[in-house]
Amino acid sequence: MESRSLVNFSGHQYLRQRLVLSILTGKHVRIDKIRSEDKDPGLRDYEVSLLRLLEKVTNGSVIEISVTGTAVLLKPGVVSGGPVTHDCPLSRSIGYFLEPLVMIAPFSKKPFQLTLRGITTDDNDLSVDLIRTVTLPHLQLFGISDGLELRIKRRGAPPEGGGEVQFLCPIVKEVKTVNFVDPGKIKRIRGIAHSVRVNPQFSNRMIDASRSVLNRFIPDIYLYSDVYKGDESGKSPGYALSLLAESTTSAIHCSEAASSPGEAPEDIALLATRALLSEIRHGGCVDRKHQSLVLLMMVLGSEDIGQCRMGEPSVRTVQFLRDIKIFFGTVFNITPVDSSNTELLYSCLGTGYVNVNRSLA
Amino acid sequence: METQTHKPHRPAQSGSKAEKKGKGKQKTGFNEKAFAPKSGRRADRQARRNVERDEARLHVPLVNRTPDDEPPPVIIAIVGPPGVGKTTLLKSLVRRYAKQTLSEAKGPITVVAGKKRRLTFIECNSDLNSMIDIGKVADLVLLMIDGSYGFEMETFEFLNILQAHGFPKVIGILTHLDLIKKQATLRATKKLLKRRFWNEIYQGAKLFYISGVLNGRYPDTEILNLSRFISVMKFRPLVFRNTHPYLLADRIEDLTPREEIRTSKGRCDRTVTLYGYLRGTNLRQSTKVHIPGVGDMDIKTVTKLGDPCPLPDADSEKRRKLSEKKKLLVHAPMSDVGGVMYDKDAVWINVPGNFTRGATDVPHGEGERMVIDLQDVDETLEETVARSNIRLFGSSSNPLTVDTRHHDGENSYGGDDAEESENASQGDSEFEEEEEEVFSEDEQDDEGSGEEDEQFRTGPLNTGRHAARTIVRSTHGFSSKEKEEGDVAFADSDSELGLSDDEGRGRAGEVMYADDEKEILSDDEEEFDEDNEDNVPAWKSGLAAKASAAFEELNRRKRRKDWVAMIYSSSLGPEQIAHGAGTPGVKPDEIDDDFFRVNSSGATNQDDLDMTKEALSLGALREWEDEGVLDSLRTLFITGDHDGGEADQEMNAHENPEGADLVDLESRKAHPALTEFEGIDAETRALIEGYRPGTYVRIELASVACEFIEHFDPCYPIIVGGLLAAEERMGYLQVRIKRHRWFARTLKTNDPLIFSLGWRRFQSVPIYSLDDHSIRMRMLKYTPEHMHCYASFYGPVALPNTGFCAFNALSGETVAFRVSATGVVLDIDRSTKIVKKLKLTGVPFKIFKNTAFIRDMFTSALEVAKFEGASIRTVSGIRGQVKKALNKPEGAFRATFEDKVLMSDIIFLRAWYSIQPRKFYNPITSLLLSDKSRWSGMRLTGQIRRDEGLKTPLAVNSTYKPIERPARRFNTLKVPKKLQAALPYASKPKLMKPQSKQTYMQKRAVVLEPEEKKAIALLQQIRALRKDQIARRREKQQVRKETHRKKIQKDEAKDAEKEREKKKVYMRAAGMKSKREADVEEGRSRKRRKT
Repeated sequence: MESRSLVNFSGHQYLRQRLVLSILTGKHVRIDKIRSEDKDPGLRDYEVSLLRLLEKVTNGSVIEISVTGTAVLLKPGVVSGGPVTHDCPLSRSIGYFLEPLVMIAPFSKKPFQLTLRGITTDDNDLSVDLIRTVTLPHLQLFGISDGLELRIKRRGAPPEGGGEVQFLCPIVKEVKTVNFVDPGKIKRIRGIAHSVRVNPQFSNRMIDASRSVLNRFIPDIYLYSDVYKGDESGKSPGYALSLLAESTTSAIHCSEAASSPGEAPEDIALLATRALLSEIRHGGCVDRKHQSLVLLMMVLGSEDIGQCRMGEPSVRTVQFLRDIKIFFGTVFNITPVDSSNTELLYSCLGTGYVNVNRSLA
Repeated sequence: METQTHKPHRPAQSGSKAEKKGKGKQKTGFNEKAFAPKSGRRADRQARRNVERDEARLHVPLVNRTPDDEPPPVIIAIVGPPGVGKTTLLKSLVRRYAKQTLSEAKGPITVVAGKKRRLTFIECNSDLNSMIDIGKVADLVLLMIDGSYGFEMETFEFLNILQAHGFPKVIGILTHLDLIKKQATLRATKKLLKRRFWNEIYQGAKLFYISGVLNGRYPDTEILNLSRFISVMKFRPLVFRNTHPYLLADRIEDLTPREEIRTSKGRCDRTVTLYGYLRGTNLRQSTKVHIPGVGDMDIKTVTKLGDPCPLPDADSEKRRKLSEKKKLLVHAPMSDVGGVMYDKDAVWINVPGNFTRGATDVPHGEGERMVIDLQDVDETLEETVARSNIRLFGSSSNPLTVDTRHHDGENSYGGDDAEESENASQGDSEFEEEEEEVFSEDEQDDEGSGEEDEQFRTGPLNTGRHAARTIVRSTHGFSSKEKEEGDVAFADSDSELGLSDDEGRGRAGEVMYADDEKEILSDDEEEFDEDNEDNVPAWKSGLAAKASAAFEELNRRKRRKDWVAMIYSSSLGPEQIAHGAGTPGVKPDEIDDDFFRVNSSGATNQDDLDMTKEALSLGALREWEDEGVLDSLRTLFITGDHDGGEADQEMNAHENPEGADLVDLESRKAHPALTEFEGIDAETRALIEGYRPGTYVRIELASVACEFIEHFDPCYPIIVGGLLAAEERMGYLQVRIKRHRWFARTLKTNDPLIFSLGWRRFQSVPIYSLDDHSIRMRMLKYTPEHMHCYASFYGPVALPNTGFCAFNALSGETVAFRVSATGVVLDIDRSTKIVKKLKLTGVPFKIFKNTAFIRDMFTSALEVAKFEGASIRTVSGIRGQVKKALNKPEGAFRATFEDKVLMSDIIFLRAWYSIQPRKFYNPITSLLLSDKSRWSGMRLTGQIRRDEGLKTPLAVNSTYKPIERPARRFNTLKVPKKLQAALPYASKPKLMKPQSKQTYMQKRAVVLEPEEKKAIALLQQIRALRKDQIARRREKQQVRKETHRKKIQKDEAKDAEKEREKKKVYMRAAGMKSKREADVEEGRSRKRRKT
């Protein structure tokens, strides 16, 4: 019975999505050759921490890590949810941990009440601002909305962190099929410029710099200056700007840039703004950072055709599509919308995934 | 006198009488007052009830996944106890639809019933396993009931199974009504059975009456009526079937290489193909399937086949006029329809000739029999020669052998032959000892083979399959054509990436190209045609534009193909795909050709992080400093060049579908499916959306247990049920369960129970529990009476809300009702939280004020430490707490109580011990048995003891003995003199000596006065008189009563005599009647169980 349910991968890349797919399908996954050629072989501390976190939110999961740390075997249990607290290591931000959990959380036994502590914004993963303002609205496309919330209790900038967020997610029986083919026109731009343990003027400087570019496009721009003080501001100084552009059909494109030592707030703002513009130019109804989330939810939808218009797949998305085929057997049909632009129409037949973990008792 | 006329009655035209009469006439109609509510409260109640009833009629709208254009055939199961007339009905119905008489009806039979409807008939035998499986797939059940006998146990069992797995439509059919001679009895029986049937299904459920049998069939008019009912029947989608793909296999083939079977003596795992119409949802190749009675299997391949029983379309309708026979399509590969048999990818037609096996009634000549016997040979002459021991002369001791050793080198024939030859060579050396043995073996062999032959002749498989047949039309051509199509399709999807160095694919790639060209050409041709209508030379003018358009089209197509193909069927890395997408300059061939390739995934991506955001750098985004680039984006904003009206429109257009989402759930259905994937080639489409319900598919399964083929019986349905991802896993299921009220015994925790859940049938060991004040799940030893409880067991996961039914035994020998429980799945988990009560007892050995030392509860201080702070209690109800372990007697501890305890008190600690259900899961593999109804699973301990003849061990402590309780004696309270003296008066014991002097009342004398004396004497006399009188009266009454009793006795005796006479007459008549009936019945011998 178990022969086919074991999926093998090698390499440390795309670890998160594979773990997520394994938990959702219940297929065992074995990942080997994790940095086996590296000077420092094996799993990193944040990866181990992620595995720990996954073990916490599931019941009956078996995670076996080889002695050298270069191979992991995950026999997933059922997603139990409930109140869970986790301290994330300082090597990655909270976003690294929150992104896979956002995919799992709607399919748990009890509603998620997850408290994560660590770095809230960095350059590698989605900041908690973007997850709150962009990722969670994407879940609303699929009928996951009531009680979906991300509370930023404290901010923590790298390297010392000290931030805390609380993620609340309701459970669903099944997700809706999405039919999102009209990207619409961008009607407003929102942004959050936050700064902790630095001069509060920094966030205003970022806002001004960003507005200097964006003002030409649209008048409906609100960039909030969000300054955290005292206990809520974490242990390290830092500032960042996250921007999102919402269209008439509530398609959202986003970008952000975080401070690094020695960089002027204006530069950060320009970086974020230009990234937003290139993201907008990229087109589609979903931005590149959320392609995999939307594609996953499409696969999990009811057994109807789900459609979504997006830009060309990112590297992660390509591998994600392949992994989806391995785990779910679902293949997407990807066709250009029209000959003139590069946007693609992703369509697939949902698997009719039902939240088995949800209990009736 | 004759002409005398009477004055006719003239009704009153006016007055009170006329008024009364008029009123009376009006009253005969509907009296609305009769149903009007009498009070406001009653009106309210009535309105509530009406609303509730209407609400109960509503159902959650369920999307019907069955396509409307070409739905799969409706499965009609014919179910009933043995001898009720199922086969007769099946044959009658098939004859009604196909105008053919089946000689034997086995397995599913598909016929065309109308423009949009095909029907698959299947007869269900009376094995409970078959009934369960059939109940899970049947769309309509024809439930047959013997009218002359009434309902039987199977009928009720089947209805309960149906109830647990989503109730399909049921039509009752009463047969054998011709056996009831008396019209009144017939009417009464019909009414009675109808009432019961309605109670069981719903009020007004359709019940057909079928009178008798004509020419081995039911009367044509009655069958016609039934078929009309079937043809207009509408089906509601059932939840479970609407979420799972499944098929009812109507054909099964064994594709295992013969050689492999031969070498393993038939014990090897088989490759099996199953054929049938897909139902439910789309079937994907990656789906795992479960075949009830066999087990879980992976699909090796799925192939779409041509419809063997297609619906009539416009084309076939045209043809039908020419040959009426087209209408009479019937697809029944498992039964013998007009001598046509389907075999492994071939069709066999049985031509009854001289050497045909089928006709056993015709005596065969010796020659014919030899030829027929030749058909049974399943090994070559060489093998037989190698095996045989021919003696040249009757007297020669050593049989002739053929040395097969030289074969071994070149072609390994398997152990079989080698052994044989070795034996032979052994025989060479020691022939003298072996001779007799060899001889006897030889004889045995002969006998054995003879037996085998006979078995073959009589075996059930033999009837049609081994008859002499001639291959008329092999479906090889068909399948190869399919394959070719597949190749083309594959190439399409593969595009010209040409990743495989496989020749065939390369060629196919060319084919694709040609295809594309042709398509373009044909497009052009069409345009030419259009143009031609206008004016001739115009076509030349737009040539260049057309060419470029065509090129663009081609390009676009290529690109489109690229994405799906590059992602799913190329070995390019994701980076290459994502970044090199626009420029397909990276030729995959080059990459493949590179013999020495740098392991890119190993070296280059060593230190890249798994990150969502792409690294930003001002350098890469420098282009945005250019105003022109910035302006190019303006069109994407609502403030851009385009008019704002469009945006508003779009907004509206978007908001509409969201609002309409809930409303037209039904109509939305698979509409995108129809339009979305229409243009794609079949192969890719199958990859994307799987195989749609209604298609006839061939499913190939690898490594199926050989018993499935060897013991195949077409009378047992084979169902291929697709499993959802979650259902492949195992776990602990928590279900709500209720013992069936007709099941005689209670169910006990840890007794094995057979579940029919989802597609599966399996045995597991449940633990029953009940929610104890929402605090804990408390184990129950037995299921409660008339109440639901929870059960937890280990087994394959099923979605919550799936219904199930449970059985203690499936064998047909059980006389009683076999459905032991029904219920629904509530929860899936990897652990359970069931606890059972544990009482630890101890006794005090030293008591202080409110403190006591307790022993005998624990055995060590460590145990005590674990329970520190736990609450304890005496039997009398004094509560306390465990404090700390004592070091003297091991396991003793100090405890405090709310009051002083007694030495005689028993102290106990109530604890909860968590238990897990046993990890026992035993799938029922009934289809793998030669006798399919004889599956036996885990037995109960009692059953094993009974079977083994063992006595139940009796623990000495468990025997009952008379309880002897010595009466407790309490000593009298003695207060010391000294203490008494010190006590205050109130507390002093107040004990005194008994009084010795007589009181006045005791010692006074009473003397009567003379009048008093007289009065007392008089009273005494009167009393004596009265007494005497009563005594005399009683005596008299006694006598009277005696005479009366005698009279009564006499009458009773007379009545009894009369009654006896009456009974005698009646019994004689009844006896004669029953004898007559028995004589009538003797003709048809039927076995049946009493209900």
